[in-house]
Amino acid sequence: MKTADCKDRERALREQDPEWVEALERHAEECAICAQELRLWNTISVAARGMGRNWESPGLWPRIERALTAEREAGRRPRPWSLLGNLTIPSRHWQATAALVAALALSLWGASRVLRHPPRPVSPEVERRLLTEQALHEIEKSEATYVASIQKLSALAVPKIESPKTPLLESYREKLLLLDEAIADCRAQIARNRANPELREELLSIYREKQRTLELLIREE
Amino acid sequence: MREPHHPAELLRGQADDDRGLGDLELAAACRRGDVAAFEGLYHVHGARLKRIAFNLLGNVNDAEDAVQEVFLRVYRGIDSFKGQSAFSTWIYRILLNCCYDVRRRIARRQESSGPEPESEPGTEREAAAPVADHPLRLALESCLARLTSKHREVFVLFEVEGFKHSEIAAMLNISETLSKNRLYEAKRHLRHLLGTRKES
Repeated sequence: MKTADCKDRERALREQDPEWVEALERHAEECAICAQELRLWNTISVAARGMGRNWESPGLWPRIERALTAEREAGRRPRPWSLLGNLTIPSRHWQATAALVAALALSLWGASRVLRHPPRPVSPEVERRLLTEQALHEIEKSEATYVASIQKLSALAVPKIESPKTPLLESYREKLLLLDEAIADCRAQIARNRANPELREELLSIYREKQRTLELLIREE
Repeated sequence: MREPHHPAELLRGQADDDRGLGDLELAAACRRGDVAAFEGLYHVHGARLKRIAFNLLGNVNDAEDAVQEVFLRVYRGIDSFKGQSAFSTWIYRILLNCCYDVRRRIARRQESSGPEPESEPGTEREAAAPVADHPLRLALESCLARLTSKHREVFVLFEVEGFKHSEIAAMLNISETLSKNRLYEAKRHLRHLLGTRKES
């Protein structure tokens, strides 16, 4: 038979080993502090049992039924992208290639514009502001292209994200949720300070991590 | 030849024996995309799904939205259920994920539009409460909202819904020891919060 003292209280309550709990109860008969703790501990459990409340929701099942029927009907209709067949997933790297091509095209377009329309002399302050605006514009455009590529990747990962079959897939899912939160935070900060290069870099690194995670998740069986 | 059972009929004794034949047959019926099977699922698990969602989200509307989402996700993902865990464990795991997503959506909404106005008494938590309620229970409910989501989940599943640590571990993909630790931390925090309320 186990014997417990005040030092064993946490262990007994944490591990919930019946023998330790029993030993703690015996000890509590002579120890007012442990008796009080044990009583409060049990009171929480008793009160919690009453929290399982039920309420009538006459509209809920019909709502679910409608949603399921709509889902089934949608599943029967051929989806526009299914017509593309295998073209939709020829390679996992096509999104990155598309982003690269778009960025290249954007740079060439920018360069040709500068060559065709040489800038007029402007004051240094105006020039600095224009350069900042132009750089920001280009960054935001490239960023949008990159984000669109990642969204395509996300679309491929949806079935595995929604119903993760393995603990590893579940952990990728959790990681993606955290990354999405981090992206939302970072974007909110950028909205307040568009020209902060550190924030832009941070956002880019989070997107890269998201891309890596999505690629791993898609590869995982 | 005997007609197949109605899904709700298959589930007699389901709550006591989730790995029983009913569980597997219900999963098979859902896999066939039979809406009646989902109705059976709703009759057996709907009330509990709503209760858990309500205790995790604190709002009847959000809880019902989460339950509806569960059914859609079960419908979409039933082919990925291979029977390694009980069907009900799989469903409750989906519910926890749905609640997690709803919480994130609420947080984003609050981020973009500022904190939501305090609800009138009687519109949210109290809406599902019986008229005469125990003050400690009400205090506990309001303290529960201040726990982290991980602690709240384990507390609700173990103390309110009576799941075993082994079942909670399977739902949350964690070890039984971690489930026990989270429960201990949740109760320790609640005990502290309740003590603070009493003093004030």
